[in-house]
Amino acid sequence: MARSVVLLFPGQGAQYPGMAVDLYHRHTTFRAAMDEVLSLWGNEGRAIRADWLADWPLIDLDDLRRAQPLLFAVDHALAVTLREAGIVPVALLGHSVGEVVAAVAAGVLSLPEAAGLLAERIAQLGDAPPGGMLSVAASPADVRPFLTDEVALGAVNAARSVVLAGPAAPLEDARARLRAAGFTTLTVPARVPFHSPVLGGHAARSLSSVRRLTWAPPAVPLYSGYTGGLLGPAAATDPDFWAAQPARPVYFADALAAVATAGDQLLVECGPGWTLTIPARRSPQVLRAGTPVIPLLPRRAGASGSDLRHVAEAIAGIVEAAGTPGSDAVDLPTSVPPTKVTATQLSG
Amino acid sequence: MATRELTIDDLTHLLRSAAGEEEGVDLDGDILDTEFATLGYDSLALLETASRLGVEYGVTLTDDDLEVITTPRALLDRVNTRLGRG
Repeated sequence: MARSVVLLFPGQGAQYPGMAVDLYHRHTTFRAAMDEVLSLWGNEGRAIRADWLADWPLIDLDDLRRAQPLLFAVDHALAVTLREAGIVPVALLGHSVGEVVAAVAAGVLSLPEAAGLLAERIAQLGDAPPGGMLSVAASPADVRPFLTDEVALGAVNAARSVVLAGPAAPLEDARARLRAAGFTTLTVPARVPFHSPVLGGHAARSLSSVRRLTWAPPAVPLYSGYTGGLLGPAAATDPDFWAAQPARPVYFADALAAVATAGDQLLVECGPGWTLTIPARRSPQVLRAGTPVIPLLPRRAGASGSDLRHVAEAIAGIVEAAGTPGSDAVDLPTSVPPTKVTATQLSG
Repeated sequence: MATRELTIDDLTHLLRSAAGEEEGVDLDGDILDTEFATLGYDSLALLETASRLGVEYGVTLTDDDLEVITTPRALLDRVNTRLGRG
């Protein structure tokens, strides 16, 4: 049975030190695609690359000025890598900033325009109140009594896996109350209260520039965490919908359920880590359909060569399950000697 | 403090309640050596499982324990070693 490929693009919280760096040094297609994205941000792109590759970055990887562009670039470059391997997705679903990558893969936005949208978003969030996100092993109903004007439900990732978002002090207060009530919590690596209404004003400020971008209806079915289902052409091309995203909650579990009822599929996490793979593996719809879930990258950076090995095995598994037409023409990742990146190259 | 041995059935029950009964986690087969990540358990779900172990069996698992425990068999071994000592 040939399965069709659905790409899942992870977002904020999926970043980890050294993510995909090993792949960048060894895989020519991935490297070229990363460089293409980073070059769209000019000098800032060079600074982002330097911090990504550095053991001691000047700006921490969890800072939105690094996490957001790097997640976007890594997700996108992996999608390009899959495309070159002959793997064509039938549907796309992104989480948070991953949804912008999905928009590019669906042809809704060009790559340069999506990169511009992201730069604008980051600029507008520059003076966002310090805060963050908190994972809670609970249902949306469980956490409702802990929500306030400032602490909002930011994401629903699985039946008992939600994320709260808010400014630092109220979020810490919510964490303490949740712990006292016996709930298990885990801090998400983020410095800004993404997906909370606290960012509404910041998101609104990006509207005028987002409205100037050129939008096209999705050429590939695009599922959205913001609507929790398939995105129609009207919503997909509505700049206001995209501009509002940093301040709106992500209903990933609903969107995943909508994707996973669409037929014999194979879910592929197209980004760093397994933040979408693991909730997908315990989704009732995914399990009932016997849908395999394959992450392209390891859960964290490993020994030299581990990214490339992981990607090669994942692609071989996808090709085997998907029976891609013309699969004999598929190019598996080729190993190139690791490239030494020097400080002079980075500043050049 | 409970001193009886934690069985795979006990653990399966705990894992299922940690993820939520409404979830479709497949724990019916031989899962002893299946990685938690393959079963759909991330750090949050494992912390929740550990918390329920603490409440129901009085066993405390540290973050360092959870870092190295990647399968149900490893979790059972660790918990039962602790219970045996207690």
